[in-house]
This record gives sequence, C-alpha cells and structure tokens, in this order.
Amino acid sequence: MSAPEPMPTEPTTLLQTHNVNIRFGGVQALRDVNIQINEWEIVGIIGPNGAGKTTLFNCITGFYAPTSGRVRYRGEDVTDLPVHKRTNLGMGRTFQNVGLVKSSTAGENLKTAQHLEVDYDPLAGIFGSPRTFDVEQHTTDRARAILDLMGLAHLEDTRVQGLPYGVLKRLELAAVLATDPDILLLDEPGSGMGPEEAEELGDLLLKLREEFELTIVMIDHHVPLVTRISDYMYCLNFGEVLTEGLPDDVRRHPEVVRAYLGDDPDEVQ
Amino acid sequence: MAIDDQDLAAATVGASPGAPTAAGWIARAGVMALIGWTVLCYPTNVLSPFTVGGVEANAASEAVIFAVIGLSLNVLIGYVGTISLGHQAFVGIGAFTSAYVVTEMGQEFFIAALVAALVGAAQAALLGAVSLRVTGLYFGLITLSYGIMTQESIFQIESLTGGTAGQPAPRPLGFESDFRYYYLCLIVLALVVFLDWRLIASKGGRALLALRENPRVAATWGINVKAYTVLGFAVSGLFAGLGGALLAHRDTNVVANPFGLNLALVFILMTVIGGLRNRAGVVVGAAFFALLRNGELLEILHVDNLFASDPINLTAEVLPLVLGPIMLLLTITLFPGGFGQLTSTLGRWLRGGSFKFVKADKEVQITDVRA
Amino acid sequence: MILAITLSELSRVLVLGVINGAIYSLIAIGLVLVYKASGVFNFAQGEFGTIAIYGSYIAITSFNLPYGIALIIGLLAALGMGLLTERLVIRPLFDAPRVTLLVATAGVALLAIGVEFWRTANEPLKFFSSIVNSPSSLDRVSPFGVAVSDQRLITLGVLVVAAVLLFLFFRSPLGLAVLAASQEPVASELVGVSVRRISTITWGLAALLGGAAGLLYAGGSQFSPGLITAAVLIPGFTAAIVGGITSLPGAAAGGILVGVLQALGSLSTFDSIKGASFVSVFVVLLAVLLIRPQGLFAGRS
Repeated sequence: MSAPEPMPTEPTTLLQTHNVNIRFGGVQALRDVNIQINEWEIVGIIGPNGAGKTTLFNCITGFYAPTSGRVRYRGEDVTDLPVHKRTNLGMGRTFQNVGLVKSSTAGENLKTAQHLEVDYDPLAGIFGSPRTFDVEQHTTDRARAILDLMGLAHLEDTRVQGLPYGVLKRLELAAVLATDPDILLLDEPGSGMGPEEAEELGDLLLKLREEFELTIVMIDHHVPLVTRISDYMYCLNFGEVLTEGLPDDVRRHPEVVRAYLGDDPDEVQ
Repeated sequence: MAIDDQDLAAATVGASPGAPTAAGWIARAGVMALIGWTVLCYPTNVLSPFTVGGVEANAASEAVIFAVIGLSLNVLIGYVGTISLGHQAFVGIGAFTSAYVVTEMGQEFFIAALVAALVGAAQAALLGAVSLRVTGLYFGLITLSYGIMTQESIFQIESLTGGTAGQPAPRPLGFESDFRYYYLCLIVLALVVFLDWRLIASKGGRALLALRENPRVAATWGINVKAYTVLGFAVSGLFAGLGGALLAHRDTNVVANPFGLNLALVFILMTVIGGLRNRAGVVVGAAFFALLRNGELLEILHVDNLFASDPINLTAEVLPLVLGPIMLLLTITLFPGGFGQLTSTLGRWLRGGSFKFVKADKEVQITDVRA
Repeated sequence: MILAITLSELSRVLVLGVINGAIYSLIAIGLVLVYKASGVFNFAQGEFGTIAIYGSYIAITSFNLPYGIALIIGLLAALGMGLLTERLVIRPLFDAPRVTLLVATAGVALLAIGVEFWRTANEPLKFFSSIVNSPSSLDRVSPFGVAVSDQRLITLGVLVVAAVLLFLFFRSPLGLAVLAASQEPVASELVGVSVRRISTITWGLAALLGGAAGLLYAGGSQFSPGLITAAVLIPGFTAAIVGGITSLPGAAAGGILVGVLQALGSLSTFDSIKGASFVSVFVVLLAVLLIRPQGLFAGRS
C-alpha cells in the first residue's frame, strides 16, 4: 500500500461540477452532482453499472450538455465549450471501449493525437511548406518517445486493428498522453484486467502522475485498485453522489457496500 | 580448413536475408523505366525506339484528368468518409468556370484554372457544411440530387454556360497541341499527387482519417471535427475544379450534356475499384476506366474486335458499361483493395521487397466510440 | 405573378402531379421496404422498372406474345433481377458498412443499364405501348376539366390496389414477420422467423413494385436505357424520405406530395428558372433533411 507522496503546494481546485443535472427523455441520469478535483490528486469514481459515471465524464468533457448546472475548469466555466476546445485546455480522456483509430498504425495514432501540439496551419501542411517537414519530424520523434515509454515502440508501424485488448488500452493511454493533458479522465482503464495487471496499472498511473504532473480521475470497478491509488473517492448510484471521502472510508461505507453487493459489509475485501 | 560459424556469419553480414540481388535490382530498374516510358513517352510517341501505333494523346490526357478526379473523390470517400453521388457537378463547375474566365473575362489559362480550383473548393465547402447537419446515406441522396439539379439548372444558364452551343475553352498558349497538352495534364496530376501526399503526411490528413472512423475520439484529441470535415470537402473540390479546368480545355468547348448521373457513377466506380486511400491504385483505376471508356484500352490490347463481333456484340462504347459494374461488384465483395492491391504489391517489390500479393486491410467498422 | 396562372393551368399541373406522384409512390414504397429489411438505400430500385419494360418489350416484339402476358413477363424479369441482387450482392455484404451497400446497389443499377445498352446498341429509343390505346379526346374522366388518359387512370388504380394489398399483407402473419425482422432481426430469428427468407421476400416485393412502376410510367411513350433511374428514382427517394424512410403509408403520401411539388415547378411562372422542377425536388429534399429528417409523416423513427 503506497500512500501518495505529499504534494509540495497548497491544493488548487482543477475541476469542479456544480449541481450538474442531466435528463434524457424521462430518465434523470445525473442529479445534483457536485464533485471537486484538486490538482495532482488521483480521484476514484466507483458505483454500480448504470450509476451515471460515464455520463458524468461525458458531461465534463463536453459530449453531453447538462440540463442544468455548470462545469468549471481552473475556475473557468467550460459548460458550453465544445469537446476539442476542452482538450486544448488540458482535458484528456479515455473510453470504455477503446478510443483509437483502428485503421491506422500505432505511430499514426500517436501523431494524430498530437494534433494540438503540431505547430502549423493545416493549409501549410497541404502545400508542403518547408517548415512542416521539420515539425512533422519532431512529431514523429515525440510519437516514438511516448510509445517507447509505454513499451509499445515495436508497434509503431503496426495497424491497430487486431491488436490484443491489453495492448489497445495501453496504446490509448499513450495517445492521451500525447495530447499533453493536465488532467486525465480514465473510463475503466482496468477493465478486462486480472489482479496482477491491475496492480501494474496502479503503479503505472502513480508513476505517470509524478512524471507528467498529472491529475487523474478514474472510473473503475476494481475497487481495490481504486482504493489503493486514490487520494479521494466518490461513489455514484442512480445518478447521485452516494458518498465521498477518503478511500478507506468510502469503501467501508454501508451504503456503498449495499449498492455493489446488497450485502454484509464484511464481504467486501 | 573448417569454416566455423563466425566466418559464416561474417560472410553473410553484407547480404541480409530477403534483400534483392543485383539481378533483382536491375529487374526493378527495368520495370521502373518501362513504367516511366509508358507514362511519359508512349502516348505522344516521343523517344520511342519504334512507333507503337501510339495512343491518341487526347485519350491519354483524359486518363490523366480522370486520375485527378479520382484523387479528388478519394479525398471525399476515402479520407472524409462520406459519399458523393454528384461529383460530376464539382468537375463541371470547374470546367465551366475555367472556360468562362478565359472566354468571357479574357484571362490566361493558369489564372482560369486557379479560379476554377477555388470555385470548386468553395462549392464543395458549402456541401460540406450541409453534411454536418445531414449525415450518411441521406447526405448521399443530397449529393445525388445536387448533381442532377446542377446539370439541369445551373449548367443551363446561358449567360454562364453558353447554352446548347457550350462555352469555348481554348488551349493555353504553348500547349495547343494534343501532345503538349498531355504533358500539361501530367504536370497538374503531379501537383495533385504532391498535395495529396502532403495532406496525408500532415495534421490535416490525419485529422480527416481520424474523424472518418471515430469522430468522438478525434474530438477528444483536439480535432475540430466540423472544421476539418469542411476542409476535406474543400480539398476535394479544389482537385475536382482543376480536373474540370483540364477537361474543359482539352475539349476546347464545354457543354452541360456529359455532366450527368452516368458520369457521377463512373467516377465512383473508378475510385472504388481503384482502391480507397491508395493513391497509386486510384490513379491506375481511373486511368484504366478512362481508357476503357474511350475505347483506347481495347485498341491497345487489340481485343476491340473480339468483343464487338457476333455473338457477343459488345461494342467499345458498351463494354465499359457492362464490365465496369461487374468489376465494381467484384471489388466490393471479393477484393476490397481494388487496383490498390496490385499497385501496392508492385510498389513494395520495386522498393526492394519481395513479390508477395498484398492483402487488403480488413475494413474497420465505422462506429462512434460508445462514450 | 400568381394571378397570371390560369385555373386551368394550375389544375392541369395538379392532376399531372398527382398521377406522376402515384408512380413515385410505388417506387418509394419499394425503397422503404428494402430500407426496413436491409438498412440500405436501394439504388437499383429504378432499374427494376426499366428491366421490366425491356422484358415486356422483348416479349411483345421478339416473341409476339399478347400484351397482358408480356406485362407479366416484364414483372417476372424485374422479380428475377431483385432476387438475384439479394442473393449475390446483398447477402454477402450483410455486415458491411451501409455506404458500401449503397455503392453496391449503384453497381447493380449500372450493370442493368449496361446490359440494356448492350442489347439495344443499334436503337436505344424504343416505344412502349400503353395498356389501353385511347386517344385523349375520348376521356372518361376529366377532373377540373383536365383530360386524363386511361393509361394514367390505370396508374392511379394500380397504386390504390397496391396500397390495399400491402395493407392487408402487413396484417398477415407473413407480413408481420417481415416487419418484425426489420426491427429486431435477432429476436425474430430466435422465434423461428428466417431473416434470410424475409430478406428474399422483401426484395422480391420491392422488385415487383419497381417493375410495376416502370411499366406504368413508360406506357405510351418512348423509353431508353436507365429510364426509370433517371426520371423516377430521385423523386422516389425524396418521397420516401419525406414520408419518413421507415413509413410505408408515409412513402405513398410522400410520392403524391413530391409529384405535385415537382409539377408546380413546371408552372409558367417559373419558366425563367431553368430546370425548375429539378430544383423544386432538390429544395424539398434539402428542406426535409435539414429541418425534419424523420419525415413529415413518421410516427416514431
């Protein structure tokens, strides 16, 4: 059990949702959800299927517009900002079923993900101005470096489609890192993993947080994984925040246990 | 004296396994020279050690122009991932614009071609904006209707298009002969190939390929999906406008008649059979179809009489109409890579690889990531 | 400007529009059927019509068969084309992206047109006689003082009969199975409905409707390769979309509406606009897709 390193500065709020409500047709998917993510924290979000966790992510990243409520990033109201502009501000996000361009190679995916970093006008790119060749070389080098970091350098020229699931998830993570995010919103990064892999994932996330000075918000069903690495946790159920707090408190909370297992608190590992 | 393993290893270090031998390289050089000669010399009977009968240069020009148009449609279908059943309108608008600028506004061909390209880009961008609201198959219908409407309505406006007599489009100075015009077309094709190459090798093309397959992921990576979609349309329209300008001045007169649904479908045919997202395949596929349509291909192969006689009775005009769709259906069902599979195979061999048939990449299901 | 249109011109245009609309309805219903069954816009729908015309024509001229038998032969030709298409093109591409299927049906249409050109190379334009040869002065019906030939009356009649038959069909067990399969293919398979068979039946039906539309359209006029695709397919598509691409009654109503709107484009007030009838159809299509994509008549999408 590695406790997170003490952060050198006062925690500043990076991301906040204020009373976010989302209603789809007759269903209240999110109800008065208030969460707060401080810089460099790892925050875990757990809850049974259908609790609204991914819906919350969609709201934060801009795929859904809340029926009411606001989303603030670094104090700025981003509720009406389109998805790609939020990426520009520093939001990075992964998806439950892996988000990659499968008909391209791993290297191309990594270059595509650097879209905002690639420093020329698309028209200049088309007309082949000399500068674009240099920038492209730099982009390729950076793609290689990130692939190497994640142990995927050998796949640079391999088409993504057909690669094993675990590799895809790591590649997706690599691509998100290529967008140079300040905050990572990971949607079930541990899905399909056994306990050993989940352990490795936890270590990887801790390492990434340190090396890239990231803030991480993760949705996952591996409660042990989430509990181990999180500084703070939320549990959602039926679109509401059921409880929040320090990981150990949350996972022992009777409501949380009931929501997951409907059972005896002692049953929870 | 026993040769030990180290000696053996040292001896083979220079020739890595799989690399072609000297003879292999000579063969490759020979093939490349043959291709070069076919493209540059054969149609115009230049530098021929013997007169081969020659392809009519004008027919060869049409093949090159179709290649430009094929690349244009490839941007739309292969990169942006949409469909255009009215692409003949893109080309026709380019053709009429160029003719108009030269005849009515007295400008040089090169200005006219540039204007045609820009007008092509603009009208395509408008259509692109529509595609943001109306997607998929429905958008296909809109392009279909757009194409036919353009032919029946806009191309009939006499002041712009010269009515039934058509709009004259004289050849540019210095390129009046069929032979020289062919080289002009080749130059434009080279330019379009360059632009297409740079597009895919740069952030614009990568953005298109991403948003084609997975718009949500593209947005997550900071790509403004709407803006880049319109950009993709604009590039397609740019190429089509150039193609139209070349077509206009090849025929030295533009009329509305050819720019109908039939042509739109031929364009789709040749691009799909060429192989989407495969530049060389599209060029070869388009050239193939152009030469098939104007009868040159059959003449070159000396099989034109074979099909035209009884009992088959397939004349040169009709053969492409039957063969084309059959090839299209075969491509879609059995050989998704189209001509591209052949050109990729050849290309890999020419670069020093082995001559192994390149299998088509299995098509990725286009789905939005379930967010 | 509006006042310049005489009542007689307006009524002529309207009556013509309704009758053309009936043909568009037949095509549109076929399109909706295929869309419900295979999820694709069937580009070959028009060619079912042209093939039927050619089939009948050959029966009459080469085999000297009576008109009625020839019509049946034409319908059978269309049916054959539909079944072949379903078996050789649609079924192998079951999992392919919808746009690929669209291009494939376009390929089928092109092949049909190519074959039509092949067989008629010497003489592309031919004349197809109408069901009843009655000179227009001998009109039985004259709504609003507009002469309507028997051929056109029969067209309307066929549409009504087809509508009634389809209505009854979709109440029958087989028809219900078709509807079920289009909405829930997996569930339908589980309860014993063969999706393959449904697909075959749907395409057969669509081909017959297309064939009928072609035969009615061409009666009493000249025809050439690709006729129905060129003249009827786009209004047919527009009608299907206006009606809501999954609604059969919507398609029928949409056809009439498109027919009328297109005919309005031919009013003399719009003479200055070249190709006004094409523009009007395009505008309708664009408007519906931009403003109300689920169609004017659809209940739920």
